[in-house]
Amino acid sequence: MVKVGVPRALSYYRYFPMWKTMLEGMGAQVVVSEPTGRVLLEEGVRHCLDDICVPVKLFFGHALSLKDKADAIFVSRVVSVEKGDSDTYTCPKLIGLPDMVKGSLDGLPPMLEFVMDVQNRSLKASVKSLAATLGVPPSSAKNAFESSLEVQARYESELLRGLAPGAAMSKVLPDGNGSRGSEEARDTSFHRDPLSIALVGHDYLVHDSFISHDLPSRLNKLGAKAVLMSEVPDSVIEKETARYPEISWSYEKELLGAASHFLGRPDIDGVMMVIGFACGPDSIIAEIIAREVRRPESPPLTTLVLDEHTGQAGVATRVEAFVELIRRSRNKR
Amino acid sequence: MRVSFPHMGNSYIPLSALLSNLGAEVVLPPRPTSRTIDLGALHAPEFVCLPFKVNLGDNLRALEMGADTLAMVSGMWACRFGYYGRVQHQILRDAGFTFDSILLGRDDLGSVFRKFRNTADGNLAAAWLRAFRVFRRKAAAVDAIEREARAKRPLERDRGATSNALEAGLSQVHRARDTREVDTSLAEGLEALRSVETDERDEPPLQVTVLGEIFAVLEPSLNFDIERTLGESGVATHPVLSVYRWLMRPLKMDLGITLDELRARRATRPYIAYVLGGEEHQTISGTINAARKGHDGVIHLYPFTCMPENICRTVLPRIEEEYGIPVLNICLDEHASPTGVSTRLEAFIDLMRQRRKSAGGRSTSLERSPG
Repeated sequence: MVKVGVPRALSYYRYFPMWKTMLEGMGAQVVVSEPTGRVLLEEGVRHCLDDICVPVKLFFGHALSLKDKADAIFVSRVVSVEKGDSDTYTCPKLIGLPDMVKGSLDGLPPMLEFVMDVQNRSLKASVKSLAATLGVPPSSAKNAFESSLEVQARYESELLRGLAPGAAMSKVLPDGNGSRGSEEARDTSFHRDPLSIALVGHDYLVHDSFISHDLPSRLNKLGAKAVLMSEVPDSVIEKETARYPEISWSYEKELLGAASHFLGRPDIDGVMMVIGFACGPDSIIAEIIAREVRRPESPPLTTLVLDEHTGQAGVATRVEAFVELIRRSRNKR
Repeated sequence: MRVSFPHMGNSYIPLSALLSNLGAEVVLPPRPTSRTIDLGALHAPEFVCLPFKVNLGDNLRALEMGADTLAMVSGMWACRFGYYGRVQHQILRDAGFTFDSILLGRDDLGSVFRKFRNTADGNLAAAWLRAFRVFRRKAAAVDAIEREARAKRPLERDRGATSNALEAGLSQVHRARDTREVDTSLAEGLEALRSVETDERDEPPLQVTVLGEIFAVLEPSLNFDIERTLGESGVATHPVLSVYRWLMRPLKMDLGITLDELRARRATRPYIAYVLGGEEHQTISGTINAARKGHDGVIHLYPFTCMPENICRTVLPRIEEEYGIPVLNICLDEHASPTGVSTRLEAFIDLMRQRRKSAGGRSTSLERSPG
């Protein structure tokens, strides 16, 4: 049985249940890289250009860590994820990811490229070419694809209920995502004055607990419930983004819509934007959110920039200060 | 209407002609300096790419000079450039300036067309036609003069003579009021450049292709006038991008440019399979072509955090190896120092000279360029 390694980075957080079901349906064994650790990150940084965003460096680290554990590495090329009249893209780095891996990483097992470009190419066609590479007959590929869509739909509905990706994956996949511990400890009831803090940022940053220094549970410990943007339904995002001039980056549109939604919600006490250093689209979208979306009556908004050097103490101080500030202003009222 | 727009190389010459022929008064900020960049960086988001900061600085200086309308191109691309105008204008409004925006590409063409209803002389359509003709002629003239200077500079006897003639020629073209005057100033400019005295050299100058992100390649304030620095060190430069190209490409009126774009995309596909929205195809195909033409090296310029060019950078080492051509990558931001860049250029020139001497050919594999 061919062992396919899936790096626990970037689009993993969004599509892993689909990929895993699909690959297993085609008779492959799926190996996920271990959660990010110091060595893995250092490896990624060493093999990557210095001024690329940290999520890509993480991806490199994860891919390298699978070197001896898999016969092939699964690398997605996510080009467009929205069907619609106007052109939409993800981000140049997600579009060029396989090219970057090919260009800078030597000695990796062969790459299994999976293209998601719903504007120009059906997913079915991508599945077909994946099946052809794996030598799987089209009929079983078709079955695998159908069940993968079904699992993905269940995964997305778990996310909508407010679960973090890890917890949602262990619900919909028979053997979870292979990560230790559950991320479900979100009980703030012990605190007499719990706050709700919305996190707006790419899931591959917020939910990589090494790089985000465990942001959701850190908030939790401070008596603040982390409200994730994955629980904002698409329809709400659509409605919110309609108020601003168009954006062609699909994921940034989500950030914009979620930020606009949270900044207008009375039960949200504060909003944290989580950005990776050197993230191109976010440098623009954060500016649009701070200047066009925020209103005088909006709850406090702060930005947390993460990179491979961000010390835990730095993040802890900023998060604590933000929570403390909100709590104080609340007590004054 | 007192209209202004950000600088990019010598694009101000045709753009000023376009706007002034439409009856607008053009407010031209001084060519970007470190003050422009500092001013822009102060107001811009922290890790946005450098051209954003320079453009914003240009706009700020133009507003100080009394501009009441700011023009910028805009669009929906994967590259950040499409959002520049919109975010910059918001930043400036938040800073307390009031002005009118022209976002070409986002505003519909009809409204841009009608903006000049009150300023244009006589029939609006006729004014546009006239403005466009002068614009196009000036763009071509600038291109021809730049090209001549580029060929001449590495051979000049008196250092700076070419650049002086170039400046004089360009300002003549800038001052020309109609297409006839453009033609005369072009002829005079070319003549002045041709009469710059040259030295006999033992061997032909080193040939270097310059490519990368368009602003980094074309704007001398950003790249420390790399073309002049190299030229005056006796190196002939061949940029793959030009102001003329950049202005004409979206108009699809020059078949040569359109075909070249298609060829470049095709050559890039094995390395970068999808369109990223920047100049990636010109960077990849330009490097390959440089090797095919037998150039001595390639200089790749890009702003810090530039997305498409960073992806190119991860791919370029492979092309360097496959085609046996050295590539010098230079990443630019507001902290880049002229000394740092010139040291690297000197080292690169040395490397290319050595390479030529030791082999007289291109087949030797030398250690990769620094950076």
